[in-house]
Amino acid sequence: MLQVLLKNEGPIRLDAEFNCVRGELLALVGPSGSGKTSVLRAVAGLLKSPGLQGRVSVGNRAEDLWFDSVRGIRRAAQQRRVGLVFQHYALFPHLTAIENVALAAHPPRDAAYFDTLFERMGLAGLQHRRPSQLSGGQQQRVALARALAREPQVLLLDEPFSAVDAPTRQTLYHELAALRQSVAIPMVLVTHDLNEARRLADRVVILDAGESLQVGPPARVFASPRNARVAELVGIQNHFQGRFFSNGPGDAPGCGRLVWHGDEAGTGHISLSVVDKKRLDQGAEVSWVVAGELLDISVQADAQALNTLACSLREVLPLGEISLCTLVPAQLPSQCITLNLSSAALRQLGAVPGGVLYLHIPPEAVHIMPVRQT
Amino acid sequence: MDWQAARVSLLLAVCTAALLLPLGVWLARWLATTPWRGRPVLEALLMLPLLLPPTVIGFYLLVMLGQGSALGAWLVRSINLRLVFSFEGLLLASVLINLPFMVQPLQRAFAAIPGSLREAAWVCGLSAWRAFWKIELPLAWPGLVAGVALTMAHTLGEFGVVLMVGGSIAGETKTLSIAIYDRVQVFDMAAAHVMAVVLVLCSLAALAFVFAADKARPLQER
Repeated sequence: MLQVLLKNEGPIRLDAEFNCVRGELLALVGPSGSGKTSVLRAVAGLLKSPGLQGRVSVGNRAEDLWFDSVRGIRRAAQQRRVGLVFQHYALFPHLTAIENVALAAHPPRDAAYFDTLFERMGLAGLQHRRPSQLSGGQQQRVALARALAREPQVLLLDEPFSAVDAPTRQTLYHELAALRQSVAIPMVLVTHDLNEARRLADRVVILDAGESLQVGPPARVFASPRNARVAELVGIQNHFQGRFFSNGPGDAPGCGRLVWHGDEAGTGHISLSVVDKKRLDQGAEVSWVVAGELLDISVQADAQALNTLACSLREVLPLGEISLCTLVPAQLPSQCITLNLSSAALRQLGAVPGGVLYLHIPPEAVHIMPVRQT
Repeated sequence: MDWQAARVSLLLAVCTAALLLPLGVWLARWLATTPWRGRPVLEALLMLPLLLPPTVIGFYLLVMLGQGSALGAWLVRSINLRLVFSFEGLLLASVLINLPFMVQPLQRAFAAIPGSLREAAWVCGLSAWRAFWKIELPLAWPGLVAGVALTMAHTLGEFGVVLMVGGSIAGETKTLSIAIYDRVQVFDMAAAHVMAVVLVLCSLAALAFVFAADKARPLQER
C-alpha cells in the first residue's frame, strides 16, 4: 500500500495525506497550481525541496520506505520503483519506441518480453518507430509501457489524457480500466478534470493550495463535500449560506431547521426542514448545497410536501437534450437555484421564462457544511 | 603554401578542440542546468574573449605567463614548462580565447533539453551519469558539433593572441594566419592568397557543419 504524508513550506506548499491500496486508482483533483503534480513528484523522488517533511512508503520492508524526514531517509528517484507517465509523456525523441521502453527494464529483458509487452499495450509493429512517428495515443501507450517495464511498485499518471483528442481519450479510458485488471499495484492519477476523476477513480483526493481537503469515493465527495471550499472545487452550482438550528418543538423528529439567507442582511429568508446529524452548534453559520437530482419540480404546490418553494423561472438555456433552468425563490429574490432539466420534461411542465414553478427540496437532498475558518 | 605553418595550425586546432570539449561540455551543462546567483558574472567572463581585442588578451597572457611573472618563473623552475613563445603556451591561450565558441552552442543545446526528459531518465532508473550519456549527450550533439567546428575554425584563423603569446617560431608557433602576414610583408601575394583561400574554405566548411547539425536537431523530433 502506498502511504503518503507530505508537508512543505515555501513556494511549493504541501500539506497532503492519503493512501492507496494495491489495485486501487486514486485521483488527485484540484485546480491549476493546487499542488497535484508536486505531490506526484514528491512520491517519485523528483521534488527537490530541502524543507520537505513527512513520509512516503510502499510497504513494510526497509527498502519500501522511500522518504522519512524524521529518520533522514530520502531515496533518489532511481532507487524508487516508480512507473511515472509524464503529462506530455517525456519520451526520448532520439530513441525508438522499444529503446524507450527497454531503458526502463532492470535487469535488461530479451526481445520476446518487449514483443509481449508491446502486444499487450496495442503497440505491436510499432517497436522501431521514433516518438515523432507515433500518434498522441500511441505515444501515451509507449509511455505507459515504459512505466510498466520498470516493474513499478506504484504507477503515477500525471494528466495522461490531457494531450489527446476526445475519441482517443475514450479509448485510453477503457485501456486504463483493462490495465487495472491485470496490474494490481496502487495507481495515482493527477487530473483537473472532475468528470475524468469521477469516471475512473475509486477514490479522489481534493487538493487546494497543496492541502488535501477531502479524501473519499467520488460519489460521496461530490454529494457531501466536507466544506464550502470543497463544494466550490468540485463545481457544485447550488451552494448557499445559512444558519442551522437543531431539532426544536416545531420540527419533525430527526430534523433541524436551516434558515437560508441571502448574502446581504435584511433581504429576507426561507426556513427549510433539514436532517439534523447532531454535529453542528445551535445557530451555527453554515454553507449548504443541494443535490440537483433529488429535487422535484411541479406547476402545482403540494401542501403535504416539506420545503415547497414558489419560484419564478428566470431563464431557460437549451443545451441539446437538457436545458439549464434558473429559478428564483419568491421569498428570497437575491438567490437563484440552477437545475438541469430534460427539455422533454420542461415541455411537459409547459414552463416558460417568467412563469411560476414549485420546487420541492427533500430534507435529505440538503448537505450542510460548517463554514471553514481560514 | 607554408605546410609547416599549416601543420602547426591544424595541430593547434585539434588539440584546442580536444582539450576544450570535455571542459566545455561540463561547463555548459552546469550553466544550463544549475540555478546559481553568480551565473551572469561567470557567463560574462566566458563571453569576454568575444569582445576584447585579441592583442589585449595576448598582452595579459604574456604578462601573466612570461618568465618575469611569478607564475611563469615557477612553472619554468618546477616543471620546466615555458608558456610564452612555445606551442604549449599557444595551446593554453587558444583554449582560453575559444571558451565562448565551445561553451555557447553547448549551453544552448543543453538548455533546450526539457527537464522532464532528464527526470524521465532518472525515474527509469538511470544514474545521472548514464542519463547524461544515453539521453543528454545524444540530444545535445548539434551543439557539440557546432562547438567543435567553431572552435577549430576560430583557432585556424586566430592572429592577435598567437602573435602576442607565441611569436612566429617556425614549426612551433607560426600558424597559417601568421604565415599569411609574413608573406604579405615580403609582397609574396600569391602564397598569401593560397593560404587565405584555405582559411576561407575551412571557415565555410565549419559554418556548413554548424547549420547542417542545427537542421538535424534530434529535439525537433517531438
